[in-house]
Amino acid sequence: QRHSQQDTRVQYERIGADVTMKCGAMDWDAAVTWTVNGSDIDESHLNGSYLVLRNVHLGHSGQYSCYEGSSWHLKYQTSLKVGTPPKEPVLMCRSNNYPKRFYCSWHLPSPTYIPNTFNISVIHGTREMVCEKEAVPKNRCHIRYLQLFSTVKYKVTLTVTNALGRNSTTITFDEFAIVKPDPPENVVAKPVPYSPRRLEVRWNNPSSWPDPESFPLKFFLRYRPLILDQWQHVELSDGTSHTITDAYAGKEYIIQVAAKDNDIGTWSDWSVAVHATPWTEEPKYLTTEAQAPETTTSSTSSFVPPPTTKICDQEKVVGS
Amino acid sequence: MASAERPPVILRSLDLCSRAIRLARKIRSDVVSLLDSYVERQGLDKNISLDGVDSMPTAAVEHWSELTEAERLGNNLKAYRIFQTLLAEVLEDQRTHLTPTDTNFHESIQSVMLQVSALASQLEELLMLLEHSVPAREEVEGTADSTSRSMFEKKLRGLKVLQELAQWSVRSVKDLHHVTKHSHSSSTVHVSHQ
Repeated sequence: QRHSQQDTRVQYERIGADVTMKCGAMDWDAAVTWTVNGSDIDESHLNGSYLVLRNVHLGHSGQYSCYEGSSWHLKYQTSLKVGTPPKEPVLMCRSNNYPKRFYCSWHLPSPTYIPNTFNISVIHGTREMVCEKEAVPKNRCHIRYLQLFSTVKYKVTLTVTNALGRNSTTITFDEFAIVKPDPPENVVAKPVPYSPRRLEVRWNNPSSWPDPESFPLKFFLRYRPLILDQWQHVELSDGTSHTITDAYAGKEYIIQVAAKDNDIGTWSDWSVAVHATPWTEEPKYLTTEAQAPETTTSSTSSFVPPPTTKICDQEKVVGS
Repeated sequence: MASAERPPVILRSLDLCSRAIRLARKIRSDVVSLLDSYVERQGLDKNISLDGVDSMPTAAVEHWSELTEAERLGNNLKAYRIFQTLLAEVLEDQRTHLTPTDTNFHESIQSVMLQVSALASQLEELLMLLEHSVPAREEVEGTADSTSRSMFEKKLRGLKVLQELAQWSVRSVKDLHHVTKHSHSSSTVHVSHQ
């Protein structure tokens, strides 16, 4: 019966390292048994009473225990964690609710497989600013603007540390450069009755943008028929609606909108895409012909005439 | 109740605000391109540190959203008056010392000067229209000892003037939008009380 008496220590080793573990204070030539996660370890890994692990990899991580040969007293126990030192982190700062705050978020280009701690410092001129961490997502924090319209650059340094090493990255930026709104919201596109080449598009300012009156947004609208790849664009300096007047009749369109502060920063990502088809006239039937079954078509669904029906005024339906 | 017309003063101020916004935007775009040609002609790095260059109106402001209308417009007016003097100094330095033969460059500086002067006039008119006191004109620091500066200091100072002016033009646009926003809301309150 094995007796456990030791506090578990944690041991971090780099992938590829050679690891030698002593059995506590036991002599080199003492008779011992090593286990990993409760399973005995093959004698080939032993050098006397020392456990030798060559070119360790992630699979080597686990709980290693060493018991004295005859009494089965636990003489040594450690939790081996194999990983890597952190690479230079990727850091990005952005303000999507200017002029209230900006946030910085970061990630590691590759996993380290062991716990990392992150420390961020935000300097504006001579002033260190507080970066309020969030519970979720963990790799983001917010900074409140204390000063606006400053020519002084911001300097943000992120340091990442784990048991195997440390790394850091620093970015410097102007106040205006990181202003990037969220995409416009609630984009809606509708046909305009009796206008086969028009589509009316409406949207809202991103709800995260705090003061659209003092910090008005301009918009970029792009649209194309599904059957084509080439987008058409129009920039709109105010207002949150636009009527497309050159749509191909009867063709389904995909439409997206982006936003930007009128004077500073960069364009938002594109909004969610919406689809719409311009209004099309109801096809007319000749009353003297055999009554074709009455097909109800809504102006926005694609109309497939039954084979017996004679299409009248063909030009009216396509591209009037 | 009369139809929802806005009082003439409000309409006039809204019109002035929108004209001033357009002018401030024009100044911004002109100054940004002037900055590019300035650093090129002076052989400067755009990111050179200008911490040592002072005595000019910095656009940086704290608690911006809490400024009163009078403070907002008054601060703008004071700044643009000073910029008129500083730009004249920059132009003089360029003509006399730094780029004496580059008349096109001088004209682009002069064009910005004229726009800054026009904006100052509009701000003054707006202040009076909205019944705020117009700040008194102040002697601009730094101009007196401009002759004692080295060529390099003159270059740096010119760059700082243009950088701060670019920043101020954005601030002015936002300040004027803020004034417009409150003119809208006060005129709505005014109409509803009739």
